[in-house]
Amino acid sequence: MSGRPIIDISGLSKLYARGLPALRELTLAVERGEFIFITGPSGAGKSTLLRLLLLQDRPSNGRIVVNGYDLSTLSKAQIQEYRRGIGFVFQDFRLIPAKTVLENVCFVAEVLGMTESQQKRRAFQVLKSVGLQHRMNAYPAELSGGEQQRVAIARALTSDPSLLLADEPTGNLDPDLALEIMNLFREINAGGTTVIVATHDRELIRLVGCRTLMLDQGTIVEVA
Amino acid sequence: MSGIRFALREGFASIWRRRTSSALAMTAIALAALVLSSLLLVTSNLERLLSGWSTAAEFSVYLVDTATSDQRGAVEAAVDGSGVAARREYVSKVDALARFKRDNAELEALAAALQSNPFPASVEVQVQSEKQGSAEVEVLVAVLAKLPGVADVRYDREWIRRVTGGLSMVRRLGLIIGLVMMAAAALTVAAVIRLAFDARREEIRLMYLVGAPYRFIRGPFIVEGLVLGGLGAGVAVLVLWLGFRAAFAWWTPTLSSLGALEVLRFLPVYTASLVVVGGAVVGAACGFAVSRRTS
Repeated sequence: MSGRPIIDISGLSKLYARGLPALRELTLAVERGEFIFITGPSGAGKSTLLRLLLLQDRPSNGRIVVNGYDLSTLSKAQIQEYRRGIGFVFQDFRLIPAKTVLENVCFVAEVLGMTESQQKRRAFQVLKSVGLQHRMNAYPAELSGGEQQRVAIARALTSDPSLLLADEPTGNLDPDLALEIMNLFREINAGGTTVIVATHDRELIRLVGCRTLMLDQGTIVEVA
Repeated sequence: MSGIRFALREGFASIWRRRTSSALAMTAIALAALVLSSLLLVTSNLERLLSGWSTAAEFSVYLVDTATSDQRGAVEAAVDGSGVAARREYVSKVDALARFKRDNAELEALAAALQSNPFPASVEVQVQSEKQGSAEVEVLVAVLAKLPGVADVRYDREWIRRVTGGLSMVRRLGLIIGLVMMAAAALTVAAVIRLAFDARREEIRLMYLVGAPYRFIRGPFIVEGLVLGGLGAGVAVLVLWLGFRAAFAWWTPTLSSLGALEVLRFLPVYTASLVVVGGAVVGAACGFAVSRRTS
């Protein structure tokens, strides 16, 4: 499968209720190991594209192939199998408040079928990779926004995904913490994981400096 | 194995977290199962009792006190010649009184106080099983009733038929009530599991997004339903058994006089297990349905 793009999108359209287009005839190829920013104003279709890649939504038209999976043909069980190869990070972290940092990560490891010793080993690895191994027993409420987002990234890395999707991951963070998180994404990308970050923060994109797709009204208007 | 362990742990934890609503759901299942299993208990015992009575003596030909031996012989000859009798037995006046004393020990004083023997002599006829309820028996009964020396013919078949008909109606009515109650109980269980789902909404959303297999997502809800349903039905069987033992002890003399002591039995292990398994299956189905609607 190497040599083929990890994401191959052709003629992708998504219409919402009353026929409002969120994406229009989008065509895009992302190579393995790439780091890509998707930017654009609110309502440009950034989050819609990520939702479609995560199969939280179905396209109205067009074809998406990710990691060799044609997303339009997957059964419910296959969707779950496909998602195991993808990590995701959201703006609002989505950590489970009643679980500690370690439990938040172990929970994902457990539902992916790892044994108890594998869960703890993997959780320690990924928490160490985001520099939070010393806060394993803290609850999300006891962490700063940056730390919470790092836990969310650690959780996303639990399944050792080949593709990491992040939707406005720095939206709730101050500029210093945002840059810190972006550097973490760069480190993850350096390890071979393809990373796609949707953000409207132009300054952050300028500081990180990667391939950038600009969306406006559901179409790619600029590639930088 | 890890999926089963996860489902069991999360399912039991959810029941414990919502103890009150879980108890409510379990009670609803228990009440429905109690109605259904009571129905099974009553009908199976009544059927056994009726079956015993219907084979014991199909009809009795009562003779007048002045009946001669020739008249009794004519009755017996008519019975033997009919081709419908499996067995006949002459019960003299003395035998009838002795039987009354034996079957009604508590009325011994009354029997002893009698000036004369009021019980008539009779010929008890057991009909061949393949002839039961046939027109030939009806004809024989009509012929016997007109013979000289015959006071009356008591044809048990008629009231047994009426009781059997009533029993069948009770069974149908009970089944409908039981099924309606079971449906209501299933809705209660589903509502409780739905609460469990709402409490774990974020976790479940996360499980979908990370690609957790469905056995991890649905398993805890199925376990929760299975345990609530199974325990509820188990409680119903236990309550019924205690009630049965109490009733048995309380009405021993009455049951004895009806000849029912040896006949009455609690539900067989197989049937009781079936009730418990049925409750568990209904609960698990509710859990599955709720978890499916959320996918």
